[in-house]
Amino acid sequence: MRKCSRRPSGRPKLLALLLLVSIGTGCARGGAQKTVSVSGSTTIFAVAQAAAEEFNKRNPDVKVTVQGGGSSAGIEAAITGAGDIGMSSRDLKDEELKAGLAEHIIAIDAIAIIVNPDNPIEKLNARQVRDIFDGKIANWRQVGGKDVPIVLVNRDEASGTREAFLKKVMEGKKFSKDAVIQPGSGQVRSIVASTPAAIGYMSLGYVTPEVKVIEYDGTRPSKESIFKGKYKLSRKLKLFTKGRAKGATKKFIDFFLGDWVQKNIVSVEFIPVRG
Amino acid sequence: MRLKEQILEKVFLLSAFAAVVGVILVFIFVSIKGIPIIKSIGITKFIFGLDWAPTDKHYGILPLIIGSFIVTFGALLIGAPMAIGTAIFLSEIAPSQIKAIVRPAVELLAGIPSVIYGFFGLIIIVPLVRMVFGGSGFGLLTGWLVLAIMILPTIATISEDAIGAVPRSYREASYGMGATKWQTIWRVVLPACKKGLMGATILGMGRAIGETMALLMVLGNAPVVPKSLTAPASALTSIIALDMSYASGDHQVALFAMGIVLFLISFSFVGLIRLVSSRG
Repeated sequence: MRKCSRRPSGRPKLLALLLLVSIGTGCARGGAQKTVSVSGSTTIFAVAQAAAEEFNKRNPDVKVTVQGGGSSAGIEAAITGAGDIGMSSRDLKDEELKAGLAEHIIAIDAIAIIVNPDNPIEKLNARQVRDIFDGKIANWRQVGGKDVPIVLVNRDEASGTREAFLKKVMEGKKFSKDAVIQPGSGQVRSIVASTPAAIGYMSLGYVTPEVKVIEYDGTRPSKESIFKGKYKLSRKLKLFTKGRAKGATKKFIDFFLGDWVQKNIVSVEFIPVRG
Repeated sequence: MRLKEQILEKVFLLSAFAAVVGVILVFIFVSIKGIPIIKSIGITKFIFGLDWAPTDKHYGILPLIIGSFIVTFGALLIGAPMAIGTAIFLSEIAPSQIKAIVRPAVELLAGIPSVIYGFFGLIIIVPLVRMVFGGSGFGLLTGWLVLAIMILPTIATISEDAIGAVPRSYREASYGMGATKWQTIWRVVLPACKKGLMGATILGMGRAIGETMALLMVLGNAPVVPKSLTAPASALTSIIALDMSYASGDHQVALFAMGIVLFLISFSFVGLIRLVSSRG
């Protein structure tokens, strides 16, 4: 009988992926800086993408590329030099503070707590939200909803939104480990939109009518309530560069902070810091 | 002429060598990056730790190992019988017109990128599981169904080769003794190529344990020992892919060490194939 042993062929995938990543980001570094690579927070991603498009149109000699990956990935890229600008929706952690990153605040954002539109729940207080994400409350009935188990949707640990939520809402409690973990705000939204018993959170800028924003501790997130400081889950969105921004990188950040981007792009989703 | 022969020989030797060098280089690279785990976290805490929480500096991968194995074996349980059934149908039963449709379809299945399988799982199987069982729809069961389809072509094509390699005379002898088609397949053909079928299944296992993207999309990625078949779970590969982009320090070392674990699992599968095909 013929022997039928062949070799499995799926193994080198990871290495290839790593290689691709390093090539993709490595190109940006060489020579006179003509490309600016921006990566990190998926919260800021859409805004940065729009700003980059406009910037590229106005400055044909520079190419700004924008990638997601989560705040931690962006900060890591800025620290190691794999990227020029790291986008972050959280503050730097202790070990990151030492790396000498320069901070540029580009907008103020709120974290909205979202449920499926079919869910009758309209509001939750801080304690209820904490207990839900902690796993202590596991059924919607316990907070006045239908008798169905709650489906928790959480972000991965690279997420700045997760970090900010943990800090502001959880107050030292840990996230339940049984949650569905998704690597981006878009995925969280689509799961909450399609799963009747789901609850999740994301930047207010990401919210669409597919999901329902609920009141948190008596306040609904809006530009007004965030600006007045009434809505508690707000935070600053930042860009980080290794040391002071120079050349094309600086030009892009200045453009980002300039009136045009702040007025036409940032203000659509967040609270602008200027203008 | 002689020279050409020699050159060709060397060229082929070189290409064969490239595979070996590739494996060794990857293994060395992953090992160098992963071995420090012994010092920084400790091997028992790493392998048998139940808590995977990188931000809290807990790096226990037992839930991920368990997740990987449950996903793999569940997928095999569903996928292998289906695949071997396909192989039997193709080589013993199907008339050539039907074969002309089924075989390319199976081969095509092998060529679909795993991200597409993941997408298919996300759009079709996740809502289906959610509708039937409630909950989120993400979890082991969804992973099984998606992986079962993914490993089907691997197992089916190799099983078909194995079945096709059973000498015609066996079948003729069986029919000659008055056996039916079913009896011939079940009692004569399958036992004769048992080793080949096992080899095919183990290869499918290798494909399943290494699968990353599709699992990342449908498993739900909760780093816990799954409490039920419809609760979110994680596999080694999906967590590496999820964390790779931002991991640093001990976390990164842990991811590479997970790579070593995956390597060892793969090695043992290959070893298993060798054992199966050399015995008897």
